[in-house]
Amino acid sequence: MHCNHKFLVVKLLSAVCLAIGGVGSVASADDRVPSWQNAEVDNKDTPLHDPMLLYNAGGLDGKVAVIGLPSMKTYRHISVGVDLHEVVYGGSPAGNKNGTPDGKYLYVNDKGANTIGEINLQTGMLERLIALPFPFGVHHIALSTDGKYLFGTGEYTGKMSKTEISTGKTQIIDWGPAPSAPDYLDVGKKGKYVFAGNYYHSTVGVFSANPFKFIKAIPVGKNPHGVDVIPEGTLALVSDKLSATMTVIDIEKLAVKKVLPTCAGPLHTVMDVYDKDGGTYEPGKDSPEGLTSKYAYESCFVADSNVKIDLKTLEVVDEIPTHYRTGHIAISADNKYVIALNKFSTGLFSPTGVVYPVNFEMWDAREDSPTYGKTLKIIPVDGEPHNAKTIYAYQIKDWTMGQAEKGGLLKAGLTPAIYPHHKSKSKRYFMPKSNEQPGVRVVDGVKEIHVKAFSYGYIPRQIRVNKGDKVRIFVTNIDKAAGITKNPDVTMGFTIYGPYGLRTNLAAPRGVTAVTEFVADIAGEYAIFCQHFCGPLHLEMRGSFFVDDPNEEASNLAVGDYEEAQTLPGLVQEGELTIAERVKSL
Amino acid sequence: MMKNQYLKICMIAMATSLVVVWAGSSAFAAEKKKRCKAQGEKVECPTLSDEALEKAAKAYEREAMDMAVGKSGSTYGVAPFDYLTGVGKRTDKTTLTKGESGYGGHDGGGTGKTELWDRVKAPAKGEAIYNQWTNNWSPTFTETRVPGADPNEGKQWYYGYCIACHGWMLQGDGPVAIDLDPRPRTLVAGKYMNKKSNLELFTSIKGGGEAISLSSSMPSWGNYMQDQDIWNIVAWIRAMQDVKSPKDLDEYLNPKSTFKPIPGDVNPLNAADSEDFAEAQELMEAELAGRGGGDLVGGKYVEGGLRKKPQDVAAKIKQGY
Repeated sequence: MHCNHKFLVVKLLSAVCLAIGGVGSVASADDRVPSWQNAEVDNKDTPLHDPMLLYNAGGLDGKVAVIGLPSMKTYRHISVGVDLHEVVYGGSPAGNKNGTPDGKYLYVNDKGANTIGEINLQTGMLERLIALPFPFGVHHIALSTDGKYLFGTGEYTGKMSKTEISTGKTQIIDWGPAPSAPDYLDVGKKGKYVFAGNYYHSTVGVFSANPFKFIKAIPVGKNPHGVDVIPEGTLALVSDKLSATMTVIDIEKLAVKKVLPTCAGPLHTVMDVYDKDGGTYEPGKDSPEGLTSKYAYESCFVADSNVKIDLKTLEVVDEIPTHYRTGHIAISADNKYVIALNKFSTGLFSPTGVVYPVNFEMWDAREDSPTYGKTLKIIPVDGEPHNAKTIYAYQIKDWTMGQAEKGGLLKAGLTPAIYPHHKSKSKRYFMPKSNEQPGVRVVDGVKEIHVKAFSYGYIPRQIRVNKGDKVRIFVTNIDKAAGITKNPDVTMGFTIYGPYGLRTNLAAPRGVTAVTEFVADIAGEYAIFCQHFCGPLHLEMRGSFFVDDPNEEASNLAVGDYEEAQTLPGLVQEGELTIAERVKSL
Repeated sequence: MMKNQYLKICMIAMATSLVVVWAGSSAFAAEKKKRCKAQGEKVECPTLSDEALEKAAKAYEREAMDMAVGKSGSTYGVAPFDYLTGVGKRTDKTTLTKGESGYGGHDGGGTGKTELWDRVKAPAKGEAIYNQWTNNWSPTFTETRVPGADPNEGKQWYYGYCIACHGWMLQGDGPVAIDLDPRPRTLVAGKYMNKKSNLELFTSIKGGGEAISLSSSMPSWGNYMQDQDIWNIVAWIRAMQDVKSPKDLDEYLNPKSTFKPIPGDVNPLNAADSEDFAEAQELMEAELAGRGGGDLVGGKYVEGGLRKKPQDVAAKIKQGY
């Protein structure tokens, strides 16, 4: 049993060990219990009650998972769509990346379907989908300071969006010149600015939140990834993926304050957060004013580690090994644990099929704990989770045992509980690795498209078909050793975003060809992307699917059936969708 | 309207030529060496033999598998893992090596730093960071053969985007080369490459192989990189002509290229005045993804990612960098 681990004396965990018969060490009854031994006090009579919950956008499985902290046990999955990337708690973004949830809704963006899902945290159900205008390609979202709008990045089109949550009204602005790929964004905590990285420009764009417009671009290192604003609202931390540095932006001056070497392949950063008295910040109980932070933690994909940065001196003070290839990174609401969202699990878990699981690794961030810097839990995770954020469990009420009847849970009328129809309007299969030449051939009236996938690209990379064509796409993984990181076990993904998201979303493990067939019935230019993390240049593994209407000009970002695409035919039923109306300004 | 019609015809023509290329490649798959053209002359296509490509692919694969089981000497492979402590190595030994655990912060008497931090040195500064962390020792150039373009910048993009097919040493022997037909070109074959103009190289990178009537397996990079990034890659290729497999580190770090600039050739400093360049740009821009008019026109310069303007590259090289 794992229970005889001598360091695991966190009360909660010991209790679990005892409950299942292990020879756990008994927590000291001494009044002077060291702080690292304190789990959150809870008044339940069960040790299985987690003080915090981690909601994650599950990536290619189209689901949001709910995981308990610190037990790291998965509670449930909420089905949302195709390829989920960012989770944002409704309320306000005050604080660190976890924000200040009001406990009502969780927003999650679907890169594969170009939508934003609204999950009711109290019912635990998907209540609404906001279908964003095409062409766009939403990569990540961030909540405005007043909690009323969601800002989004249009990775595939070089555009930025601002959507009014209540109505779905959406303002979209171009961020040229091409090639342009806005990916991660964050809001300034004072309501004035939105910051977004653009990995083709290698800049961080500064946008005015209201009116929503481009202000300036700040040059940063090569191919920036995460852009994360600290709780004080004074600094934005930019992970320069290919420069192995962190660019720190002074938000008041809108200029670079410092560039510090951090680690190989830095991707994302989280920080701790303290209330104005220096205690842990408990949303809903503590004032969101005067919040501070001490350390930032940055994920290092290539280095297989997380680095810890002192936010006063802006220097790296420690490096913690992770297993393996940390992509996103999360922190528990009480600052005690950092959760590395690892993209690879080579050799770690029992095989369950051709596609390997990714994993979440929770390490001890308490400096005074003997297990500081060590992995406390590592769990296999389905899908390929992108971001995850923590909420205190007290923000979600107990509606069981008839308590929902007392009211407060449901509004009058019908509250939707949406289950997206998966894999609609397509047939999908696997076949042994195909050695066909890449390209398009017509076979029995079907356009057969053979695609080779490797890190980091597709051959061919631009696919052009006519509207109404029956297409059959064969995606063959020819990767052997991923570029830069040399991982030997890379699964390649193939998703055409938007109306074709649910008809593709193919996962091609090594040695396998994945096939989908469908009718290309909606014209336009739709980005093809790899939805299975394959290495530092994963985001750059892209292509384009052009569906030309023979009666129109060749499709591009200005020519296509974009209004029809926005209805997401086959994804959801009528009435379950808020069509985000495109407006000139918000 | 006229312009659009013209472009549409071009695209149809391109699509047709594509089919021909594919059909052609499978028909001639058995043929040993294809004939290629350079400046109108027929030359042997610079590709490696299938045997060499098989060998290269196996070598990459072996290196990757070694990393998976912790055999590799590389700084950053898949770091070995210790199930007991969550830190350190998972080797065939089940016991810990002395000193591999117990950080115990302030009270425990330890350093408070993790093992990994102890193992690696504090990050170095500048260019060395890139080399150290990606384990790519590579040459650093002090001159350029393409005015206004920086081979050192180009090298870094090359390592990210190009090696899968063209290989670490530009031999056309990347890990997936054996799966492609036609095989990727050997980019250091001076006899062939030195006859290609800068514009041809720029066009084949930006618009893909189809843009110069070659294989569609070479993708268009114009919707991934800005024009200046592509020019930098051209400079990197020019700096490596006829560079052989090095005998020692010194030779490796100081490659001697045979390329001599072609008089009157287009480069980033004079591209704005070239009609040929303007024409090629117009055709490529019409074909590329990610263009929708308005602010989304392509090819413009954006400062960022340590990118420099052609004039600044020229000035920097003149100063001797």
